[in-house]
Amino acid sequence: MAELILRGITKTFDGLNVLQGVDLEVHDRELFAVLGASAAGKSTLLRLIAGFEKPTDGTIELDGTEISNSTSVLVPEKRNLGIVPQDSALFPHLDVSQNIGFGLSGLSAKNKSARVAELLELVELTEFANARVDQLSGGQAQRVALARALAPKPALILLDEPFSALDAELRSRLRQDVKAALRAEGATAILVTHDQEEALSLADKVAVLRNGKIVQVGAPTEIYSSPVDVGIATFLGDSVLIDGLVTGGKIQTVLGKLTASGELVEGRLALLRLGARISICNRTQPVMARLSAESFSGTMRLLKWTFEA
Amino acid sequence: MRKAPALVVALGVFAALVTTVPIGYLAVRLVQGWQLALAEILRFRTLELLGNTGLLVLAVTASALVIGFSQAWLTTKTNVVFASGFAVTAALPLAIPSYVMALSYISIFNGLSGFFAAWLVLTLATSPLVFLAVTAALARLDSSSEEVARTLGLGRLQVLFKVTWPQVRTAATASGLLVALYVLGEFGAIALLRYDTFTRAIYNAYRGSFDRTSAAALAVVLLLITLLVIWFERKYRGGYVASKKQLGKKLRVELGAWRLPAALWLGLIAIFSTALPISSLVIWSIRGSANLDLAVLLDALWGSLQLAGLAGIGIGIFGTAIALWSIRYRSRLGQIVEWSSWAIHAVPAIVVGLALVFFGANVTPWIYQTSWLLLIAYLILFLPNALAGLATPIAQVPVLLEEVSQSLGVPANKSMVRVVLPIALPGIVAAVSLVGLTVLKELPATLLLRPSSLNTLATRLWGATEDLAYSQAAPYALLLVIIAGLPALALNLQARRALSEVRS
Repeated sequence: MAELILRGITKTFDGLNVLQGVDLEVHDRELFAVLGASAAGKSTLLRLIAGFEKPTDGTIELDGTEISNSTSVLVPEKRNLGIVPQDSALFPHLDVSQNIGFGLSGLSAKNKSARVAELLELVELTEFANARVDQLSGGQAQRVALARALAPKPALILLDEPFSALDAELRSRLRQDVKAALRAEGATAILVTHDQEEALSLADKVAVLRNGKIVQVGAPTEIYSSPVDVGIATFLGDSVLIDGLVTGGKIQTVLGKLTASGELVEGRLALLRLGARISICNRTQPVMARLSAESFSGTMRLLKWTFEA
Repeated sequence: MRKAPALVVALGVFAALVTTVPIGYLAVRLVQGWQLALAEILRFRTLELLGNTGLLVLAVTASALVIGFSQAWLTTKTNVVFASGFAVTAALPLAIPSYVMALSYISIFNGLSGFFAAWLVLTLATSPLVFLAVTAALARLDSSSEEVARTLGLGRLQVLFKVTWPQVRTAATASGLLVALYVLGEFGAIALLRYDTFTRAIYNAYRGSFDRTSAAALAVVLLLITLLVIWFERKYRGGYVASKKQLGKKLRVELGAWRLPAALWLGLIAIFSTALPISSLVIWSIRGSANLDLAVLLDALWGSLQLAGLAGIGIGIFGTAIALWSIRYRSRLGQIVEWSSWAIHAVPAIVVGLALVFFGANVTPWIYQTSWLLLIAYLILFLPNALAGLATPIAQVPVLLEEVSQSLGVPANKSMVRVVLPIALPGIVAAVSLVGLTVLKELPATLLLRPSSLNTLATRLWGATEDLAYSQAAPYALLLVIIAGLPALALNLQARRALSEVRS
C-alpha cells in the first residue's frame, strides 16, 4: 500500500516561485505522470518528494506519515523510494549486479543474489549480470537503473525523464518494458516528463504542470479530449486554433460565420479543432462544440457545428 | 546543509592545528622583538631579495607553463612522433630532485651559478607539474566542442587558444601556482647554485647567528608574497571547470610540416631535463662505485622508504578527510582548513624544520628527536600537494550518485564510503603516491629533524656534496632517482592507460 499526498507545496529559490501551491494525490499501484514543459518545475517537484529539497510551504505525506514540511524533512534514505534519473547515474565502480543490489541491506547473501537475479530477469539483462556499466548501451543502463530502484521494493518509484536521452524507436519499446516491469513489481510510480505522448500513453493519471502550478489532473483520455484551456490543448498536440470574434450571438471566423447556441461573451475568442471536436475558448470559460458534419464541395469545405452548453 | 562526521572533522582540525604551529612560532618570535623585526624588514637587502625572488618565481613559472603545456598538448592532442615516449620523458624529471638536478649540472658545467642556472634547473624540475596537470585536464576534455569550433571556421591554433585553453585553464593555473610556490620555498638547488633568494637568506640568518628574529622577519615577508601569489591565482582562475561527460572520440590535430620540429622541441627538453643529468649521475656513480659502502647505503634506503611510506599514508588520510570536508560537505570551516594549509605551504621547508626544532625542544620534548616530529614536518610541507591532487577526484564524483545511493536507503556518511571514496580511489592513490615520491626527495627539514640514528638517501647525499665529493654523492642521487623515478613512471603509465581507455 503506497499513497503519496502533496498539499500546497510551494518552493521558492532566490525569491523566484518554482512551485506554487501544488496539490497531488498518487494512489497505490498507480503510474502517475507529471507533464510539463522545461522549467515548469518538474525536477524540483521530484527533488522535493525525494527529500533533497525542503519545501518553502506545504506538506508531503507518504502512507499517512508526513515526510516533508517547511521546517523538517525526512532524510532521503529513510523515505523508502527509488529514483531513476535521466542519465541513469549507475555507480561506475560497481558491475551490473552490484548496482542492482546496492540498496539491498539486511538480506542474507543468498536472498540478495536471488533478488538481483529476479530483477535481472525482469529487465531482461541476465546475461549482463557481471558486465561493467560503461559497456552498457543507454537503454540497457536505464533498465539497470530501474532494476536498482525496484530492488529494495520501495513504496514509490520516481522516474525523472528516464527516456529522454534515448532515440525514438528505443524509447517507445523501453517505455512499454518499463511499464510492464513496474506492473509486475506492483510498484507505485511518478513519471516526470516533457513528452506528451509518453505521459498519455504510459500513465494511469496525468497532472499537467505549468509555471509551477498544476493546471489539470485526470486520466489521459480526459486530459486529451477535454483540456481545460487552450494552452494544454496546444501542448498536447493535434490542435488547430482559429481566431473568432463574437458579435451579436454569432462568431466570425476565417471559416465563416458560426452560430452558437449558448450565451457567449462579446469579444475575441479562439476556436480550437481537436480531433473530431471543436472547442470554443474565451478567457474565462471553455465552451465545447461538437462538429456534427463535415463535407467538401470543390475547394469549399462546409462545416456544421453543434455547441454544447 | 549536511554535517560532516566527527572523524572527518577531528582529522581536519588536528591537521589544521599541527600545520599552524610554525606560524605560531614565527608570530611569537616577531612579537617578542618587533622593533628588531621591523628594522630587519626595512632594509635595502629585503628589496634586493624581493627582486631576486620575484624575478626567479615569475621566470620559472612562465617557462614551466610554456614547456609543460606544450608537452601536454603535443603528446595528447596532436600526431607528433613518439608521443607516448615523450609523455614519459616529460614526467620523468619529477623523479629527479631539484638539488640533484643542480648537482648534476654543476658537475657537468663546473662553477655554474646565479640567476640563469637557477632558472634553468628549476624550470626543468617544475615543468612536469604543469605537464601532468594539463595532460589530465586534456584527457577529460570533450573533443566535440573542438570539432564544432573547426566546423565554425576556426583554424587549429585558434581552436587551441579559443576552445582548448579555456577548458584546461583552471588546471594550468593551479599547476602554475604549484610551480610558483615550489620556487618560493626551494632551498637545495638555490643554495648549490648560489643565487640569493629569501630561503637562502633565511637559512644563512638562522645558521649565522643565535638571534632568529631576522630569519623570522624574512620568513614573514616570504609568507606575505605567497599569500599574494595564492590570491592572484584565485582571482585569475574562475572560468570553465572540467566538462561533465567524456566522449569516446578524441580529436588529434594534424601537425603537418610541424610534426618534426615539434618532436625536436620535445626531444631537446628531454635531453636537458633527463638525459643530461642522468648520464652525468651515471658517470659519477661509476667513478664512485669503488668506494661505496653498501651497508650504509642500504641503511639509508630503508630509512627513506620507511619515512615516505608512513608520511604518504598519514598525509593521504588527513588530506582525504579535509578534501571531503571542504568539497563534499561544503563546510565553511573545512574550506578555511584547506586554505590555511595552502597558506602554510608557503613557509619554506627550512623554516618549518627549524620551527619544529624549537617547538619540539620546548613544548613537546617527548617527540623531539623522534621520527614523529619529522613526519609532522612532512604533513605541514606536503598536505597542500596532497590536497591539490585529491580535490579533483573527490570533486568529480557526481552528487547525483550520492543522491541515488541515499534514496536506496544508504545514509549520507555511508554513501560517502560506499560511493564517493571507491570512485575517487584511483585518483586518491595517485595523489598519495605522488606525495610519497615528494617525501623521498625532501631535504632541508629531514636534515634538521631526523633522529641521529636515522639516515636517508637525501641526507647521505647532502653530506657528501658539502665535502664536494660528487662521486660519493652520485650513487645516492642515482638510487633516489631510481626508487622515486620508477613509481613516477608507473603513475604516468597508469594515467596514460586510463587515457587510452577513454579513447577506445
